[in-house]
Amino acid sequence: MSKKILIASVVVIAIIFLSWQMSRPVTLTIGIFAGNNWDVPQGEPYAIIDEVIKNFEAENPGVKVKYISGIKKEDYSEWLAEKFIDGEEPDVFFVLAEDFNLYVSIGALMNLEDFIADDKNFSADVYYPAAFNFGKYENISYALPAESTLTFMFVNKTLLAKENIALPKNDWTWKDFLDICRKVTRDTNGDGVPDQFGCYDYSWLHAAISNGVKFFRDDGKTSYFADSHMEEAIKFIMELRGVNGGFEVSPKDFDVGRVAFRPFTFAEYRTYKPYPWRIKKYTSFEWDCIKMPAGKSGGNISVMDTLLVGMSSRTGNKDLAWALMKKICYDEMTQQLILKKSQALPVRRDVIISAEAQEIFSWEESDTATITPADISDAMDEAIMPFKFKNYNAAMLYADSELNKIIKGVVPLNNALNKLQKEINARLQY
Amino acid sequence: MQKILTVAGMHRLLYVYNGFVIFVLMAFMCLTQERINNSMTARAFLEEAGAVPQSSIMLLCTTLAASLAFVLLGHLYRKNKNRYERYFLFAAEVIVCMFLMRVLNLSYDGVVLLVAADLMFKHEGHRQEYTLLIALICLYVIANYNLAIFRTKIISFEAYVSYYNADAAAVLLAIKNTFYSLNIVCFVFYLVLLVKSTHEEKERIRLLNERLEEANQRLRAYAIEVAQMAETRERNRLAREIHDTLGHALTGIAAGLDACIMMLEVAPEATKQQLNKIRDTARKGITDVRRSVKKLRPDVLERLPFQEALLEMTKDYSESSGMEITFDIFSWPNNLRQDQEDVIYRVLQESITNAKRHGHATKVKITIGGNENYLLIVIADNGLGCEEVKHGFGLKHMRERLELLHGTIHYWSDEGFIVEAMIPLNREAEHDKNSDSR
Repeated sequence: MSKKILIASVVVIAIIFLSWQMSRPVTLTIGIFAGNNWDVPQGEPYAIIDEVIKNFEAENPGVKVKYISGIKKEDYSEWLAEKFIDGEEPDVFFVLAEDFNLYVSIGALMNLEDFIADDKNFSADVYYPAAFNFGKYENISYALPAESTLTFMFVNKTLLAKENIALPKNDWTWKDFLDICRKVTRDTNGDGVPDQFGCYDYSWLHAAISNGVKFFRDDGKTSYFADSHMEEAIKFIMELRGVNGGFEVSPKDFDVGRVAFRPFTFAEYRTYKPYPWRIKKYTSFEWDCIKMPAGKSGGNISVMDTLLVGMSSRTGNKDLAWALMKKICYDEMTQQLILKKSQALPVRRDVIISAEAQEIFSWEESDTATITPADISDAMDEAIMPFKFKNYNAAMLYADSELNKIIKGVVPLNNALNKLQKEINARLQY
Repeated sequence: MQKILTVAGMHRLLYVYNGFVIFVLMAFMCLTQERINNSMTARAFLEEAGAVPQSSIMLLCTTLAASLAFVLLGHLYRKNKNRYERYFLFAAEVIVCMFLMRVLNLSYDGVVLLVAADLMFKHEGHRQEYTLLIALICLYVIANYNLAIFRTKIISFEAYVSYYNADAAAVLLAIKNTFYSLNIVCFVFYLVLLVKSTHEEKERIRLLNERLEEANQRLRAYAIEVAQMAETRERNRLAREIHDTLGHALTGIAAGLDACIMMLEVAPEATKQQLNKIRDTARKGITDVRRSVKKLRPDVLERLPFQEALLEMTKDYSESSGMEITFDIFSWPNNLRQDQEDVIYRVLQESITNAKRHGHATKVKITIGGNENYLLIVIADNGLGCEEVKHGFGLKHMRERLELLHGTIHYWSDEGFIVEAMIPLNREAEHDKNSDSR
């Protein structure tokens, strides 16, 4: 008798609990950091996500979306890891490039292939390949791209005009680049020291990428630093360095308008181009951006960095989480918002080449603006994605220090690249 | 101490010990996770761990639930009598064991030994050695290759330990290894106790078997004795039968023939009648003998109700022997058993025969009476009687028969010879018991 009562009361409690659970509004959480992924100042850090949440909640009644605000980008990685250890990770979260492989390998990110295959309203074709593929690991999608940025060449138009040099076209090459640098590098005030330079901050990395060098095998276990394209790039950098005659160019030189070229991300371009930043940062010269110069064996290629959004593999609301991911990464309205309100580039091709983009990109009334949405779209199509395997940063840091020795002539070039490749391969093994 | 040193006690100790170790490990993991989060090394830990850890509260709940399920299944397994249900319970126990190890990130596989202990506990011999062997091998394969199966999903104990500094890590690893070693020691000790108890059990069974064999032998001897006794009794009974039937008939015939010899000259017609009666008696005697051989039961009794059978028997006898027999029946018990009827019949038959043969009596008076407890039969004749009663075959048999029914017989000479037989009724069963216990 008492047993029956016990069972009955357990059942009743279970039913009450379940109905209470069911009647509760579903709450989704988003993991997001303040500001942006591109290290440029941003006014309203949560403007876009607030808008996205408002739209999403309107489309899905009974669903609440929340996020924790105030987490800085540099703290985000640790914060997310702590949430995972506590088992309270957000359902949907932004994934930093350096965290992506870790979270895939520990099984924290949901495999999205089934969602992509089952969702008739979703097509990966709308994305730029470099953006969409960035969310893949061993050819399986674990994250969707939300926004991208890529590197362009800043051009000091005032300086070029002063030197009577035409603005280079978007299909310019190393040779054009080198020629212009040679022309502009000189001593303008006659103190015997050159005070006007061709370029600042153009590194072997930019050169190698635009010369079609692939640094590593996809699994990150082997490097290709001894490639002949790499050698060409190094030689080009050494030549470019030779133009300056041993003088080191400082960022201040660029800021005051005494340098013709400097690679910048598009986010920086978006940040500093419009009012008021334009006034604050670069007042003394007019500037614009064009694609990176093409190497002998490459093209006008640069690296496109993409911010990814992933889903926790432990989420209890997979379908809603997928819908939310799509709202952030796939929805045209959201992508338009990114175009309007952030410094980054949307990842949808149709948004980039839309009329709105045309409007937004032409800040200057003059016809001198060289970059058009079509150019940006081309650059994004051609762009390559950065590597993101575990030892990537360490390997590149080592390569940078070794290559700088070569470039500065401390180490002779002859066999140095082979040696470097072996060194790095050995480091990649563990 | 004495209590622990039994198989069941050691088994309980194994369970308690493993529960303790599991709890400590679980607490260690939970605490380490908390500390990692507090010291801002979560990302480094994830990198070291290679898997997403369970949250502390989940870890606590799943460990407790799995442990409880494990204990419950183990208990049911050990208590269950049905072989197939037990197989099922054992499989469930193995699954829960794997789950528990998985929850604890495979950092402790001592639970496998618990499963082995349960298995050994319920091991029944016969051809189960092979099952046991296979099961044990499987358990160990599971324990060792679990690691391979779940490799990508588990966080090694070392990953947790690596959070602490080298000294603390060494101590922690040592503690963990001690836990495991102690478990093995306990398990081995348990096995020793189990083997010992099995051995003792066997010894006990052997002793019991010896005693059983002894008892069997005694029983066999007793059976032979009983058979011999039965044979003797049967022989006695046969003798009695022959005496009762043939003796009765032949005595009657002899007496009748004596009469015939004397009457032959004087009254041939009466002699003829007498001879007819003698012939009838002889026939009846033949029938009696046949029946004795066949069934050892008086034919008259077979054919007629008992009282009529008695009357017929006496009538026949008085007709053949010329003796006057009268009946005085005061009361008659309703439900006489067959053996009682047989005895009464034989007693009457024998007494009448004796009256004619030894007492040369001409009149016999039979009185039957008694109450619900006993039946009294008095047979008095007007014959010679005797000064000293010779205990012949007939009297002895009557006594034997009556004693079988716990009855008594008395006889004495007065004006003739008087036989008084008493047969207890109804209470016989009780009487039986009393006499047995006496």
